[in-house]
Amino acid sequence: MTKIAIKAEKISKAYFTDKIGTGTVTRDFERWLAGIRGKADPYLPAEPNSENNFNASQKVFWALKDISFEINQAEVVGLVGHNGAGKSTLLKILSRITTPTSGKITGTGHIISLLETGSGFHPELTGRENIHLNGAMLGMRKSEIKREIDAILFFAEVEKYIDVPVKRYSSGMYTRLAFSIASHLYSDVLIIDEVLAVGDHAFQLKCIKKLKSLSRDEGKTIILVSHNSENIKSLCHKEIKLTNGQLSCQ
Amino acid sequence: MKNNNSQSWTIQSTRSVTDFKLKQILNYRYLIYCLVHRDITALYKQTILGPLWLLIQPLLTTGVFTLIFGTLSKIPADGIFRPLFYLSGIITWNYFAECLNRTSTVFKDNRVLFEKVYFPRLIIPISIALSLLFRFSIQLLLLCTGIFIFHEHGTDFQYRWTIALLPLITLLMAFQGLGIGILMAALTAKYRDLTFLLAFSIQLLMYATPVIYPLSAVPVNLRWLILANPMTAIVETFRFSFFGSGSFSWINLLGSAATTIALLFAGLLAFHKAEKNFIDTL
Repeated sequence: MTKIAIKAEKISKAYFTDKIGTGTVTRDFERWLAGIRGKADPYLPAEPNSENNFNASQKVFWALKDISFEINQAEVVGLVGHNGAGKSTLLKILSRITTPTSGKITGTGHIISLLETGSGFHPELTGRENIHLNGAMLGMRKSEIKREIDAILFFAEVEKYIDVPVKRYSSGMYTRLAFSIASHLYSDVLIIDEVLAVGDHAFQLKCIKKLKSLSRDEGKTIILVSHNSENIKSLCHKEIKLTNGQLSCQ
Repeated sequence: MKNNNSQSWTIQSTRSVTDFKLKQILNYRYLIYCLVHRDITALYKQTILGPLWLLIQPLLTTGVFTLIFGTLSKIPADGIFRPLFYLSGIITWNYFAECLNRTSTVFKDNRVLFEKVYFPRLIIPISIALSLLFRFSIQLLLLCTGIFIFHEHGTDFQYRWTIALLPLITLLMAFQGLGIGILMAALTAKYRDLTFLLAFSIQLLMYATPVIYPLSAVPVNLRWLILANPMTAIVETFRFSFFGSGSFSWINLLGSAATTIALLFAGLLAFHKAEKNFIDTL
């Protein structure tokens, strides 16, 4: 009875290290025309080769190469890999911050992601105003935010500072508030980058408990960067391991 | 809890060029409200005169224009009381210029935010255009006050049917600033040089718009050039709707409307394409 929440098919992502677009305006224009006619991009970079990710002659860096995976609903998935393995790129693509160079991801439900500390807080606005603004950016309505605001503040332990501009917050408070907003607002899939590494040990345990209950009781799918923390690893049902932009055995 | 579990989505490299997902924007109404509200209230925080700046800026410009163009160089003003003539030109032009200026750098200005949260990027330019409309309506009140005070100075103001054109012009003006702005936003995200070009182009463009002179003062053989600027018909019609004098023609207005729609569509196309991957290049 498991439903697939996210299915990725052969996604690759190339970064160009020195050019703007194709390099010239006329080529950009040709590429654009091809796009409108529904033809293939005439200046698509060469396929990634398996030995190295960086094609020096074309100045193309492949951050991800042919990644395919499936994630079931209510599953907690840990993303592991060294620095530069492509974890953040993968999460950015899933969060629609950027698009893959090739490949396709399909899925169902509303995604909320917490990519880096702060998640777009405005330093001049107060905690309360930021909860509203942040919630609105995550696609929430006013009534939904109002209903959850007390729970968000309680969980983040910042009730006393609700009317203080967030630029006066400590980095711990910042992170706690960001995590609290993302985990309390409505979503089907929750994506969490290395945020948990920032908070102190007690809060980390609290977050893990919360994530566990979100997946078990509310059926949320959770994708997080687990790194080497045993605590987080114990939470995950499965692991996706990336090495140099490629999938290692799960 | 919302019951949209079955809502499915696809992320891939190619997507429809013209599917702007405008409907999706409606789901973010509250975000638009928050952004507009923040824009209006935060702009004058930590200032002594606060919202009075909304009025000081057009009043000072009107004063300078009246002195230089009215007293020194004596450019005609279609028989309209000069300060009101300039004020009406300034507030429409300011809306357009400010809207274009601010929307053209949305990608650059919001880079940090766009790296962290996904929402339809078009929401930012839309909220800029809306919050500037608030400013515009305050300045409109200033103009009405001016008309009320100076009505004996040959600008006998009566309720004419022409005032009914006002909502239409406002809409056209907003779409124009927004359309050109998002087009420029897409281009400046890729070709940074344009940022420099744009800043002084806007300044120069004011002289190709009847802000400090009426269209009727332009030599007939040069009028086509001024009329090619879609803002011309808007400024002229704006004055006509209040004062009933000046050149107004449905053809000019329709031409301006057609250009506006074309520009808005081009802007949507370019913006839609740019928002996809700009984060990798900017």
